[in-house]
Amino acid sequence: MHAFLQTPLGVVILTLAEALALLVPLLMGVAYLTYAERKVLAAIQMRRGPNVVGPFGLFQPFADAIKMVMKETIIPTGANRLLFLMAPMLTFALAMIAWAVIPVNDGWAIANINVGVLYLFAISSLGVYGVIIAGWASNSKYAFLGALRSAAQMVSYEVSMGFIMVTVLICVGSLNLNDIVMAQRTVWFCVPLFPMFIMFFISTLAETNRSPFDLPEGESEIVAGFFVEYSAMSFALFFLGEYANMILMSAMTTILFLGGWLAPFGLEPFTWIPGPIWFIAKVMVVLFGFLWVRATFPRYRYDQLMRLGWKVFLPLSLGYLVLVAGVLLVMGWLPHVA
Amino acid sequence: MIAALAFYVFAAILLVSAGMVVSARNPVHSVLFLILAFFNAAALFLLAGAEFLAMILVIVYVGAVAVLFLFVVMMLDINFAQLREGFQRYLPVGATIGVVLLAELVVVLGGWRFAPEATSLRFAPTQAGLHNTAQLGRLIYTDYILLFQASGLILLVAMIGAIVLTLRDKGASRRQSIARQVARGPADTLVMVDVRSGAGVGEIGILRPLVDEPEPAGDAHAGHDHAGHGHGGHH
Amino acid sequence: MSGTSMNWVLALPEIALSVCGMGILLVGVLQRRDTFRFCSMLTVGAFLLAAVLVISTGQGVGYRGLFTDDAFSAFVKLLVLAAAALGVVVSLDYNEHANLRRFEFPVLVLFSTVGMMLMASANNLMTLYMGVELMSLSIYVLAAFARDELRSSEAGLKYFVLGALASGLLLYGISLVYGFSGGMGFTELAKALADPAHVSPGLVVGIVFVVAGLAFKISAVPFHMWTPDVYEGAPTPVTAFMGTAPKVAAMALLVRVMAAPFGHLLGEWQQLIVLVSVASMLLGSLAAIGQRNIKRLMAYSSIGHMGYALIGLAAGTQAGIRGVLVYLVTYVFMNIGTFALILAMRRRGRMVEGIADLSGLARRDPAMALGLAVFMFSMAGIPPFSGFWGKYFIFTAAVQQGMWALAVIGVLTSVIGAFYYIRIIKVMYFDTEGEAFEARPASLSFVAAAGGIFTTFFFVFPAPLVAAAELAAKALFR
Repeated sequence: MHAFLQTPLGVVILTLAEALALLVPLLMGVAYLTYAERKVLAAIQMRRGPNVVGPFGLFQPFADAIKMVMKETIIPTGANRLLFLMAPMLTFALAMIAWAVIPVNDGWAIANINVGVLYLFAISSLGVYGVIIAGWASNSKYAFLGALRSAAQMVSYEVSMGFIMVTVLICVGSLNLNDIVMAQRTVWFCVPLFPMFIMFFISTLAETNRSPFDLPEGESEIVAGFFVEYSAMSFALFFLGEYANMILMSAMTTILFLGGWLAPFGLEPFTWIPGPIWFIAKVMVVLFGFLWVRATFPRYRYDQLMRLGWKVFLPLSLGYLVLVAGVLLVMGWLPHVA
Repeated sequence: MIAALAFYVFAAILLVSAGMVVSARNPVHSVLFLILAFFNAAALFLLAGAEFLAMILVIVYVGAVAVLFLFVVMMLDINFAQLREGFQRYLPVGATIGVVLLAELVVVLGGWRFAPEATSLRFAPTQAGLHNTAQLGRLIYTDYILLFQASGLILLVAMIGAIVLTLRDKGASRRQSIARQVARGPADTLVMVDVRSGAGVGEIGILRPLVDEPEPAGDAHAGHDHAGHGHGGHH
Repeated sequence: MSGTSMNWVLALPEIALSVCGMGILLVGVLQRRDTFRFCSMLTVGAFLLAAVLVISTGQGVGYRGLFTDDAFSAFVKLLVLAAAALGVVVSLDYNEHANLRRFEFPVLVLFSTVGMMLMASANNLMTLYMGVELMSLSIYVLAAFARDELRSSEAGLKYFVLGALASGLLLYGISLVYGFSGGMGFTELAKALADPAHVSPGLVVGIVFVVAGLAFKISAVPFHMWTPDVYEGAPTPVTAFMGTAPKVAAMALLVRVMAAPFGHLLGEWQQLIVLVSVASMLLGSLAAIGQRNIKRLMAYSSIGHMGYALIGLAAGTQAGIRGVLVYLVTYVFMNIGTFALILAMRRRGRMVEGIADLSGLARRDPAMALGLAVFMFSMAGIPPFSGFWGKYFIFTAAVQQGMWALAVIGVLTSVIGAFYYIRIIKVMYFDTEGEAFEARPASLSFVAAAGGIFTTFFFVFPAPLVAAAELAAKALFR
């Protein structure tokens, strides 16, 4: 058995199995995130939420999925067919392949690559293409406006996200995600880098086009933004992609700032619980933050959004980066590069 | 074997998509092919073991530069038929010049000979035991710090230039002063007025909010423009 | 890599100037009121500071061989700083009248100057390219600075497109040189090329492309097409700046590149420089004759002047390069002085640029007419003005090398050129009197007077300057 896994065919099969082992729970997570969102919003707004399909409405995501599959896929006349259908697939695929490098426990990643952070950053910066292509290929003004907004927004917030990641990286001395988590054994980075943690969380909201930065789909102004023309499965793919992205961003926050799979402070009773459970728990806490924000804050105006990104986050993150680098250098805490 | 196969696949896609960038009829398709080309170039970097460069290529070129390209191309309505018209007309002249140049280059490069040191100098000196990301960092931020800073200045100038040449602030735009908004309390904005029954707001004399409006914080440029006019008027 | 030491102090003038530039930018952005004049003054102050630092920094090679400080670079940097400072001073009054009073103007001039200083100190082809780009990019923007004026935008765009092409040529040349010689540093190139076995046709092609790219920057003849249009279209202070400091920097760079790394290949590039030089002199003097617009005239005149300066380089000797440096000094002062007076040509709030507008100037404003006459005589190369001495040093260097033909062509074209320079003097002194210009602001009078005094009295005490040029030229032949 072991020998078989060393052959090329064995490697391929093993990789596929690993991918399935990751993607199936992930997709279940996505499905139940939509359910959780409705339940949490309902609870915050003192409603009941979905409670008809199955016990506590637990089968609601499946009912929705079946409905989506059964509907007719409508392609508007004048739309660029190929690109129109490619955009949702791209969004969904990008949200999936990013997971290849996420470690859920020590060494538990499909690909433990040296430049994991850059890979994540690269994939998340590609997300904008799904949106732009969808907006353009729909041949509709609302979709196009939504796409323009979204592209500008995502590009703007990536800049400060990049700086925040660099701040973490200079504390670690490695671009490997596993190393980043292991560097947090003494203290999670959300403590010394607290302002960056907050900024990172807000930037992930903007990066995933979530409320209060959901202007690309602002229904009161541009109907539903870039996916106004989509229906049935193509719409479902966007939907799934968006929620998978939320989980991805939460996982990123967890790895960069909340110590990944590490138990808090390495204390005795906590360490009995296995790493993946901690990882999932932390991701869920961050996801709850996403939903909580959505229930609490009104939507930003577009100029305020841009102001926040360029005039507040960019200088702050740059300044904090310089500060952290200076402190590390002066105190001699710079991690030794192997 | 797999690496060689992957190389040929990526290289082939790279070449084909590069060709499509030039030949695609729809400019948006051209940009998308350009993105595909970037991707495959990044994959080639990966195969060569330069994973840092590969990721940076994707982040910078695909994630930022190509997005702006796509923006511009989508916003501009480029009429390719019109462009091709000129292309047809100038093709003979251009082709002749191209052939002549090519012939000359072939003649010149007949004497192609690399300096003996060239092969050894081709690679920047590397230090054993350093990761390639770390080595790049050493080259860029230590050995070539002067050039790095100079390129920073070039980009700064480009930014100043773009702002100088395009920013037009009419001076009439109103800006939000967040500090002012936050500092404002109910007492500053609210006035309790005794309204007699049957009297309109106008009769009581309240037409505007009593709080003074924040001054339209005109940009320095706008100020200049106005002052410039005034100045010119004196003469 | 030759010289592994960092020696970062060597670039102190550049660092200080860039930091000042960013500081001035911040002042301009954060102050909401009109800061054009204040920022311009700060910029002139920064230039002074940089000049002091240039004089006080030591010599040597730094930044792992990318950067060098020697007598040549110090000479060029001081000249460039002086030209840029005068350029900022002449812009003060014009910009305020032409509604261009924006603090970015001096800041761009400053960053352009940083690029020129980098060029003067380049000891590697990459540094060279960075310097050229920094300088040019700022000037593209400056040329289009009057963005509401069609002519200015057109000038900026034209300059940018052609400049980008020239940059491409330059880069292509650099890559060829690198590929065929295996090095980019001037020191190692010079060492490698000392052995004729290392010279291949590809390398020569590379050198030709490098020369072409730099010839564009000094507007020497086959690459001069942009000059008249850009000179005419750009706001006049920008033209004044463009016609002085960048020309000096690019010419100095060309001299350094030819003398230091490619010095051993004199035989390969001498013909090329001679050709460019002759063509520039001919075109500069012949095409200027028909011009009615004084800015266009100055454009052709500058093409001609660069042709003369190239004679010195073509000679390929220390005396020749000394001649080039002296020529550049005289050129800068007479050019900036002339432009100061062109900027004073304003009637009823509008700039005029026609040569005919100068008619009868001598009776209305004898001082201005006298100044212009001095500059025109000097440009024509009539003794005892400084322009004559510049030409004198250059022609003697050529003659010493036995390049009689080149010297004779130079003298002949000077005679042709004298025709249109002296025509301006004739228009001012003998034509009917036209409408008076507005009163000249003190800043322009100051620059014109400075240029005029230098131009007129250079012959009295030329020794220090010539000695400095001698020292600078020697640094290249060490």
